[in-house]
Amino acid sequence: MRRPPQAVQLLGSLLAAAAIVAVAIVVVTAHFGPTSSAKLEAREDIVKERVDAREERAKEREDAREERLEDSP
Amino acid sequence: MEQLIEDVTRGNVTEVKVVLASVILALAVYQLLLAAVAYGWLRLPFLEAATASWTHRASGDAIVVLTILVATACLSYYGFEEGGAHAVFGSILLGVLALKVLVVRIGGAPARLLPLLGASLLVLFGLTWLSSAGDFLGVG
Repeated sequence: MRRPPQAVQLLGSLLAAAAIVAVAIVVVTAHFGPTSSAKLEAREDIVKERVDAREERAKEREDAREERLEDSP
Repeated sequence: MEQLIEDVTRGNVTEVKVVLASVILALAVYQLLLAAVAYGWLRLPFLEAATASWTHRASGDAIVVLTILVATACLSYYGFEEGGAHAVFGSILLGVLALKVLVVRIGGAPARLLPLLGASLLVLFGLTWLSSAGDFLGVG
């Protein structure tokens, strides 16, 4: 088998290094799962929004109940 | 410095360190292959020794930069005292790395030590990774 030109060999070996780096990053990052602080913060924000919405609905129901009690003779 | 590292990694200091350390280890294994081709111990039909040697140097430069970054983050954020075996392996690794760079620059007779230094570095990279990133990933 004839060896490819040196520039091609050089490019190929550097691309192989880049591919190794990319694979290492992907494999390790995938191993972490959703544990990055950014994702955890996003999760916390969603939970907080849900809690706020629930509290708001409860307050609205309470207000409506009080209004009904005031209106009743 | 601690705040800078915290800001740059957006609070994910350990995760970033583990990723970078894993990249270093992967490149170190590739370095072994390139060195084997460069020294003529392994003959590949598509890669000449001179080219392998050039890539070995380029990849090695990247490894040195990444290692300094990880070591700086490690020492300034976590300190040395609580490092245990990881701190010991890391310190020896930095010493051997500095020695290897020196031997490469000097050349001549000491260059005969390069294969031994390179193999030692690969082992030390492996041990340092296992005692920290490996533990974190559940490998060590």
